[in-house]
Amino acid sequence: MMDDRRARFEAQVLPHLDAAYRYARWLSAAPGDADDVVQDAILRAFRGFDALRGTDVKAWLLAIVRNCHLSAQRQTQRRGYVPLPQEHDAEDAYALVASAPGPEALTIRRDQERALGRVLAEMAEEQREVLVLREIEDLDYRQIAAVTRVPIGTVMSRLARARAQLRTRWLTTVEALP
Amino acid sequence: MNCPESLRTQAYFDGELDAARAAASERHTAQCAECRALLADLAHLRGGLRNLGRATAPAALRARIDAALDAAPRPRAEPAPGAPPTWRTRPFWWGALGGVGISLAAAALAVVVLLPPLGTALEGQLVDAHVRSLLPDRLIAVVSSDRHTVKPWFAGHADVSPTVADFATQGYPLIGGRADSVDHQRAAVTVYRHGAHVINVFTWSAHGIAPAAHALRLGYRIACWRAADLQYCAVSDTGWDELDALVRLIEQAGMNR
Repeated sequence: MMDDRRARFEAQVLPHLDAAYRYARWLSAAPGDADDVVQDAILRAFRGFDALRGTDVKAWLLAIVRNCHLSAQRQTQRRGYVPLPQEHDAEDAYALVASAPGPEALTIRRDQERALGRVLAEMAEEQREVLVLREIEDLDYRQIAAVTRVPIGTVMSRLARARAQLRTRWLTTVEALP
Repeated sequence: MNCPESLRTQAYFDGELDAARAAASERHTAQCAECRALLADLAHLRGGLRNLGRATAPAALRARIDAALDAAPRPRAEPAPGAPPTWRTRPFWWGALGGVGISLAAAALAVVVLLPPLGTALEGQLVDAHVRSLLPDRLIAVVSSDRHTVKPWFAGHADVSPTVADFATQGYPLIGGRADSVDHQRAAVTVYRHGAHVINVFTWSAHGIAPAAHALRLGYRIACWRAADLQYCAVSDTGWDELDALVRLIEQAGMNR
């Protein structure tokens, strides 16, 4: 039965489910992990929904996703499980690139996107996350600062470093493609 | 990157500067080849990265979440364990206030809570109406890309007659219209599409205090302006640039008619 609170939650929070999913995918080492993180985050958001008043729902939800990711990561480390982040990340990135429909002319662009996804996946999490929040989720500096819990000045310098690094790696990887 | 202005150039690119600072940044960029190259690089990277952002949550995950919400116990009001303890629209200022002392912070909090900025109730109405419109079958009452169909429809269903035009060639096709209640009036809502985004443009008879030109609420952007005796507000989840471009198109169309 759909009560009023559930309906409000679905209207206000679930429009950001795709953003939560993409962010979790870029944070997590394996796709299955991202699904668990997103589900955990949505349930936590549902429990805390009443405390949310006149606020920025997308940034609020992404901050919860990030916290869920961090606690899942801590649990994994406590179990002594050592993931292979770089390889998993790179494989994961392929799946994140939506396949563009269309003629063969798009194949080259798709290859470039895949390569860009791989470059992004191989970057340090701290840098990858500001790029994803700014360029893919379109958050402003204040929202990014709130989600990642660092000052705005740090957001700006992290973004600048991440972009410079991505540019260098992209030039050597993506644009060297045939 | 050696130019001391590079962080400001980046902030300009990200739309973080107010008009005066943006103008200063443009004057600098006109003189600085390094910052011009930086802007070109940033645009290039953004183009590539935006293409990566099209993944959506799989249906199986949505179903899992739906089932988990069904099974979730009815909660008491408690903060989400994963959420930051105090989450406000301006967390930066709370960070800045952090060192000043709890009583000052509490006083500031009280001011913000007790004196919401003018127009917030209206912004809330607009965003609620926008979100409602995205529910299935709520978006459009009259489906048409022809302003000669949409505009007469408003005559019978809304209290005002707004500027309506199709901007398909500029990337903002008109997809229809409906009526909605805003500020105790029957507002005309003109619906445009831009890429995958829906933009609702609400129009009603202007009176009282004008809402802020730009507002961000619940992650949605609201751009408001007045033309003649009408109040217009465009609401969407696009970026500011995309929203402002449509605002300019409608303003120009209004002046030409």
